[in-house]
Amino acid sequence: MKRHSLVVIAVLGGLMAHAQTNTPGAPPAPRAPMVIHADSADFDLSGYQLIYHRQVRVDDTQMKLTCEQLVADLPPAGGLPNHIVAETNVVIDFTDTKGQTNHATGDKAVYTYQEQGGVTNVTVTLTGDPQPQVVNAQGLQAGDVIIWNRENTNSHIRFIGNYHMVSYQKPGEVMTDTNLPVTVVKTNIPPGTVENTNTNMR
Amino acid sequence: MNAKVNTAQITLIAGIAWLFAAVPNGRTQQNGIQHASDFTSTEYYEPPHQQQIKSIMSGAEALPQPGGLLIIKQLKLETFNLDGKLELTVIAPECIYDTLNGVANSAGHLQVRTGDGKIRTDGDGFLWRQSEQKLNISNNVCTVIENGATITIKP
Repeated sequence: MKRHSLVVIAVLGGLMAHAQTNTPGAPPAPRAPMVIHADSADFDLSGYQLIYHRQVRVDDTQMKLTCEQLVADLPPAGGLPNHIVAETNVVIDFTDTKGQTNHATGDKAVYTYQEQGGVTNVTVTLTGDPQPQVVNAQGLQAGDVIIWNRENTNSHIRFIGNYHMVSYQKPGEVMTDTNLPVTVVKTNIPPGTVENTNTNMR
Repeated sequence: MNAKVNTAQITLIAGIAWLFAAVPNGRTQQNGIQHASDFTSTEYYEPPHQQQIKSIMSGAEALPQPGGLLIIKQLKLETFNLDGKLELTVIAPECIYDTLNGVANSAGHLQVRTGDGKIRTDGDGFLWRQSEQKLNISNNVCTVIENGATITIKP
């Protein structure tokens, strides 16, 4: 469950701006093209912004992201987008390395990219109302704020505020209806932070 | 453009500014009330790089209209950096340029490509406001960013 949640956020961060978090000296892995579709777009040359409006869809080989607005800030000093905001009905669907489908939702997703001394750091923050959450076949995890931070040597995710997790029944074990949440593992934990780590998630 | 714009994506947009800025100075001057066919307009960098081509704009037709409007058909713009490397290609079957207000628009298709082809944007219908340096693409926007999209530097 935790691993799957990490995968969700990892994919979000990795695909929204083509940034790679690299060990210094290691070449980034090849990627397929990223395609952004939208009903309309405003390219603000003086403000260094690319703004996509209505039915925004980001596709690549690892995930699909949809939202109503996507704003990418371009650094004046050069480089790929270092700050991207996806807003309104943000939905991220992806298939993890085990072939399992994951589904993350939130009202807002903010991606930031920083590079210092050849070391990159990517952070993706999901917020908004309704509460952001990550769902897969095993269950659901949610928090008021979901922060995924990817550093050089490890990755971790934090659920901040009103964390709860619902585990779904696996097919064939007890229930025949696999769509029903039959086991509530944790609910309504007081505002706080739950942090998971996964060093294998890149 | 005062500040340097360095990304391929911005370069892509900037080319549009070049495109329409170049029109009044080219062979298709509206004031001359000339109808140009298969025209090409070349713009050079300012000194000390005045020998370097900044952009080449070509079109099948340039039709001056009342009110300072200019209809350009089969528009193609190519911009180059100081090393002569192709930075950007802009293609539009037709557009209307308001030479008085610095506004260009079209209901037709727009294609913008970086020189290396790694960032491409297509759309239908656009409005370019030169003074604000903003490009609006009205419909069916599609941007493709290839892996390893390069960064370009353009003054």
